[in-house]
This record gives sequence, structure tokens and C-alpha cells, in this order.
Amino acid sequence: MQKACSFVACNHCGTPDTCALNKLGIGCRGTVFAVGGDPEVRRRLLEMGFCNGASVEVIRRAPLGDPIEFRLRGYHLSLRDEQARHVQIVPA
Amino acid sequence: MSSCCDPVTDAKPQRGAITVALAGNPNSGKTTIFNGLTGLRQKVANYPGVTVERKTGRCQLPDGTWADVIDVPGTYSLISRSPDELVAMEVLRGLRTDTKTPDLVIVVVDASNLQRNLYLVSQLIELGRPMVVALNMMDVAERRGLKVSPEVLQRELGVPVVPVVGHKRQGMDQLKAAIANAAVARMPDWPLPEPMKEELLLVGGGLAILDSEANAAARVAPPDARPQSSWRSRRDKPTKPQLGDAVPPRAWICGDTNDRRLDRYEALAERLLIGDRAGELNDIARQEPVASLLTSATDRLQQLGIEPMQADIEAHYRWIDGLAHRVVTVDRQPEASSIDAAQTEQAPPEARRVEPGRTLTQRVDAILIHKIWGLLIFALIMATLFVTIFWAAAPIMTGISASIDALGALLTSRLSGPLKDLLKDGIFAGVGAVIVFVPQIALLFLFLAVLEDSGYLARAAFLMDRVLAKVGLHGKSFIPLLSSFACAIPGIMATRTIENRKDRLATILVAPFMSCSARLPVYTLLIGTFFAAWGAAAQAGIMLALYALGIVAAAATAWIFKRSLLRGPAPAFILEMPSYKLPQLSQVARQVWTNTRAFITKAGTTIFCLSIILWAMAYYPRLPEHRVQQIRATAMDGKASEKEAIASADNAVSAAQSEYSIAGRMGHAMEPVIKPLGYDWKMGVGLVGAFAAREVFVSTMGIIYSVGQVEDETGGLSSAMRQDRYANGRPVWTPLVAVSLLVWFVLAMQCMSTVAIVRRETGGWRWPIFMIVYMNGLAYVVSLIVYQVGSLLLRV
Repeated sequence: MQKACSFVACNHCGTPDTCALNKLGIGCRGTVFAVGGDPEVRRRLLEMGFCNGASVEVIRRAPLGDPIEFRLRGYHLSLRDEQARHVQIVPA
Repeated sequence: MSSCCDPVTDAKPQRGAITVALAGNPNSGKTTIFNGLTGLRQKVANYPGVTVERKTGRCQLPDGTWADVIDVPGTYSLISRSPDELVAMEVLRGLRTDTKTPDLVIVVVDASNLQRNLYLVSQLIELGRPMVVALNMMDVAERRGLKVSPEVLQRELGVPVVPVVGHKRQGMDQLKAAIANAAVARMPDWPLPEPMKEELLLVGGGLAILDSEANAAARVAPPDARPQSSWRSRRDKPTKPQLGDAVPPRAWICGDTNDRRLDRYEALAERLLIGDRAGELNDIARQEPVASLLTSATDRLQQLGIEPMQADIEAHYRWIDGLAHRVVTVDRQPEASSIDAAQTEQAPPEARRVEPGRTLTQRVDAILIHKIWGLLIFALIMATLFVTIFWAAAPIMTGISASIDALGALLTSRLSGPLKDLLKDGIFAGVGAVIVFVPQIALLFLFLAVLEDSGYLARAAFLMDRVLAKVGLHGKSFIPLLSSFACAIPGIMATRTIENRKDRLATILVAPFMSCSARLPVYTLLIGTFFAAWGAAAQAGIMLALYALGIVAAAATAWIFKRSLLRGPAPAFILEMPSYKLPQLSQVARQVWTNTRAFITKAGTTIFCLSIILWAMAYYPRLPEHRVQQIRATAMDGKASEKEAIASADNAVSAAQSEYSIAGRMGHAMEPVIKPLGYDWKMGVGLVGAFAAREVFVSTMGIIYSVGQVEDETGGLSSAMRQDRYANGRPVWTPLVAVSLLVWFVLAMQCMSTVAIVRRETGGWRWPIFMIVYMNGLAYVVSLIVYQVGSLLLRV
């Protein structure tokens, strides 16, 4: 049932081993590699638990395409595409 | 047992013996625990100047003393520059002058979401206040197969940990008892990177030297002759404590007794380096040579690839990971999802490969946020909500106003003269103007409470965010805006679910553009009177266009506001998707009650006063008696029956009276201003009256055109308006005038109740006044363009 990760098709990343969180396919998992973006957004994402290689799973996109729901550290949260692309993920 | 000699035990003192702050993440069940602790002894207000609600309550402790409980706004972090979380931080640190510094903190922790909840706990530990942990939602955690051990957590943190089930009121007595044992948590040695620890030592030492120098200077020199080089002497507010005082109070920087690291200067250095700018830290960080000290330390760390803010958060989470590992044991059950278990985060990747069983929430979400079903169900729920507050509330509202009117008439039947009119048309009508909103507000909050407590509100925001994000609003703006189609009052109150201040303000500012039910009578009258000949389809089209105009205006102004007035670094859109829960009846009822009561007491007072003022403006000055006789005599002339003659005379007198009153004079005075829009003084009077409520425009017109009270049948008024002519024979009302007036009604802010509620929700007159200015300005300009361009086109 697990879909293949869109990682292979991801051309947007600087480093070949990582991928922006918003490019990750639904059902895919990965571990947090780095968080970018402006300092305030970055702090928020880090504080919500996007740090220390936490494992993230993409649950679904909203019916209209945005935001995206994730599971992280045992809870669910959703981010807009705009924020998710600042999180670099090592796909698992 | 109380006796007359022992008044202390039962009497509720003015002030509690201690002040307890109740802190916790959003969705941690903090509110249910607040309710469990304080029962009905609650007060809801606003923090001055901010749109953040301030809830306080009273709770009797086992030893008979009373504690004041402050419900701190739910927050994920104590280091934040977003205004909402700023309030939480300021309350907890005792930086707010309007709130007593808490003696201890109860932190509510969601056991089913331990890691993220512990992040706030880790920050509270740094605060150094006595603390009690209320471990909530143990039942949810258990259902997911997570065994959270309060004993281990208590041992690890060194503070009392009380397992509670908030919605069942379990553990409240134990929690109250634990307050007596509250302790300052042991300060963990955060696993910071070594270079950062060295920098902290360095900066901390620098701060210590600077402070002692400044202290020495302050001792020698008189206050005004302090050396300008001192980073302390530049502080221009002598009433504030000196920085020398600001540094030592570890009570709010790092705790009095539990800091095992070098000393408090090091702790201060850490706050500054990670970008904590709370209270005085902001002043400290900006002054030289502290600023350069910080910059050079940050630069050195940056070269090593260390970012202090990130390193700090990661150190906290590393500590949390270890702690969670010791506190939680996974007890796999069929329903449990493997990835929900905190442990799996540390497990090797292969272990996570197992197909997880799905929790109830995930199964429900598969339907409720499904691409097709999800949107359908959402549409259905919203339609139900809308129908309920638009139509279901209407008969109750009419019933209430009718019975208040009847009661007013009954009670004043023995009276006469101005006193009777004041009571009947001023005071009773004023009370009616407040009470009439209660059914809508109660019903809306019934819906909101159920949606929020069940967890669906977050899903609704998730579904709608894409649409609203386009104009800079938030997914959570949807329900307030939808509710505003019924009435802006409940709609604006519903914005409380939007955490972010700017998103909330933007929603409040545009909500009144949604065509509310009070505009409908005006739309119906004007469309029915001037476009009846165009056919039903055209009339419906015009009606639709008016609604569309409101929506377009809201979208456009929201877009502009988010790029101008309410601009700024937008905090990330982070929406927690809490697990579904069955809403508790008592919680829902309480929400409905507190919000309705808050409306009546806070906004109601303003609405009541304004309606008395408006009544007086339409009532005074009275027509001189001889004029009344004159008008009566003229009006009664040539009428066939006596009944008809009296009715006609009464109508003529009220018409003359309304022209003679302040409102009537204002209408005349306004005429030069509203002339370019195509309006005459009568419409001006109508606009003044419409400030009480937009539908009052119709009845004012009825009075002015001497057709008496307009009930259901507006035929008489319609023909009177169509036949009205200026002195030169030109018709006063043309379809173009009607369109211009309709546009005005769509766009203008002319509802005192909305003004009152905006004042209450934003905590001041600034935003409501801004709202009146910009909305009426916009309405004026657009109506002007419509009328002037329209006249040009029609002439051609």
C-alpha cells in the first residue's frame, strides 16, 4: 500500500541525499536533516520537533492541494507548502 | 465546619493566598483542567490592548486557603515574538503589570503527545519557578499502547507529577494537594555543543565584568552623571529596575536555587545568544558593548557551523528524547499505531518499516479529509451551521424582540410623556437590541464548541486554508466569515479560534463586509421598489451581486491589509491536528454560557448605551405643541372616516417630529455630503437610524414618508418613495440612487453593535474607529463612483 517516494524525481535539492519536505510523496517517511527559512519560522519548526533527525511521515495533502499533513514525534500537524519546503529530509 | 469566630475558613478572601499559573500546549486539555480546578468561579476578560483572552479563577486548596488560578494562553514555547505567545511568556515570567506574578506553575502535559509537550516543560524548568506537572490524557495514551509512568517522570524532574483525566475530573483533588509540594525542578545539564558552552562562559564572564563596572560607576557618580559608556546608564527609564537588578533575579531567568552551571551571568548569556528578547533582555541585547559581545560570539559559533538558537532547541529535545525513553514504555495493543509510540523515533529504521495499525483518528480522517467525501461533509456541516444561525435563530429572535416590546408596552401603559417613551423606545428597545443577538451567539458557540472540542475545527481549517491563504487569511477564518453572513457579531466573536493576532485582526476587519441578515430588509425594500419591473431573475441577480460585492471587498481589503497594516514576518502556518475526541456536554455548555455572558456584559453595555443615545437623537428636540396641532389639523382635513383621519394625523406628526429631531437635522446637515451619492436628507436620516441596526433604515423611511410603522407590507412605502419628487419635479429616487444606496449598505460600517463587539474583542477603540473610517470611506468612494459614472452614462 505504501507509495513509492517521489524522491527519485526530486530535482530541487542541493544535496542529492536530501529532499525538501514538500517534495516527499504521500506515505513517505524520512528523517529531519536541516531546517531553513527565516529565523522566526525556523525557530517554530525546530520547537515543534523538526530537529535531531526526528522521523517524519507525510500523511496527506488537503483536498485543494495545500497544506500538507505530517506525523512527527507521535502527533499530527500540518504545514503549508511554503513552510514545508524549508525542511530538508533524508528519505527513508 | 465554620463558626462566627472562625471567619477565615469559609469566607472567600479578596485575593487568593497564592497565585497559580496554569500553562500548557494548545490542545493539551488545559481548559478542562482549569474548569476542574476552579469550577464556576471564573472571570473572563481581555489582556489590555491585545486580542488575547484572560481567564482567571479561584480554587480552594485542601488546607482551606484559596488560590488564584491564571489560565495562561496555550503556547508551544516561551521564546516567541508572536503577540499571543508573548502574553503567556510575560505572565509566566511576571513581566505583566496587570497580572500578579505567579507563585507556582502547573503545567499540563498531554501524555499521548509527550515529547512536544515536554519542550514547554523544559523551558519552564529554566524559569526556575516551583512547578507541578499535571499529566493529562493518560487514557488516550493507554489506548495507543503507551504506558507513561508518572513516578519516573516525577523522579526525573524532581517536581510532583499528578496523573489526571481532565474531562472526567479525575485527579483534581490530588492536583490541588500537590500544589503544597510544588518544587523547583532540577536544572538539567542540557547537552549543548562544547563550543557553545565555552562561548557562554566567555559572554557570561564579559557580562559579569560589565555589570560590576557599571555598579561601581553607579556608586561613585550621581545618577545623571553616569558614564555614557556604561551599558546600564543608557537606560532612559529610571522607574524600571536597573540592569544590575535585572541580571541577578534568576527567579525569571534561570531559577534561584537550581542552576548548577557557573552562574547566572552564564544563564543570561544563554538567553541573549539564543535570541530571547523578553522584557529587559531586549534592552540589554541592544546596548553596547553587549551587542558586539553577542555578535562576535555568534560569528565564532557560526564558523563552526553552530547556530545558538538551533543548538539550544536541539539540546532540549535531546534531553527530552532521553527522558521520554525512560518515562514511556510501549505496550502494543491492536489499536496502537507503531509510529505513534514515542519509542519508535529512536528505533532503527527497519523497525519503523512495519505497517502501522491505524488509530481511530486516522480512520476518521480518511473520510473527513477525503478529497471528495471530506469536502462534501465539510459543505454539509457548514450548511447546517449557516442554516441554524440564519434561519433557526430567526423565530427565537423575533419572539424575543416581540416579547420585550410587549413587556415594555405593558409596563409603560400607565405612564405617559417622555418618561414612557424613554422606557419603552429607549431602555426596553436598548435591552432588546442586546438580547436579540443572544440566540445567534449561543447557537454559534454551541457549534464552535462542538467543532473545536471534537477536533474538527483544525480539519476545517486544513480543508479551507488554500482558498483563504490566497488573500492572506487563515484556514480558521472560514467559519467566522461564514457566520458573518448571518451576523457579524457572532462572526467576530468566532475569530477567537484564530491564534495568530494578525490573522485574527484581518478577519475581524473584513468580516462586516459579508452581507448580514440585517441588510436583507433594506436590500428587499430597495430591490423590490425599483427593480420589480425587471423581473424576478434580475432581482435575484442584483441580490446575488450584492453578496458577491461584499465578498470581493472582503478579499481585496484582507489582501491589502496583510500587505500593509498587518504586514510583518508571518509566523509559520503550523496547525496541530489534534486527535478526535467526544465533546463533553459540560464543556460545551460552559463555552456557550461564558461567551454569551461575556457578550451581554461587555458588548451589551456599549450597545445599550448607544441605543439610548440614538433614541434620544431621534426623539429630541420635541416639536412645539402648536406645530403639532397645526399638522394634525392639516392632515385630518378631507379624510372620510375618523379612524383614517387620526391615523393620517399620527403619521404626519411622527414624520414632522423625525425631521425636527437631532437625527432629522443631522440628515439635513449631511445633505451636502451625501448629495454627490444621489441621496437626499431623508436618506440621511435613514442612515443615522441605521446605525442602531441596518434594518432600522426601513422603519425610519416608513416614519419619514408618513406611512406609519412598516410591518410586512411595504407597498405603501414603496409607492411613496417612487412618487417622492424634489422641488423641481425630478424624482428623489431613481434606480441609480437605489443602486448607490445598496452599494453603501454593502460596504459601510454602520452598525453600533459591530463596533461594540470589535471594541471588546480588540481591547480598545483603536480598531473599531479604524474600521468605521476605512469601511465608510470605501463605501463613500464606491457609491460616489457608481452614482456619478452612472449619471454620466445614463445622460449619454
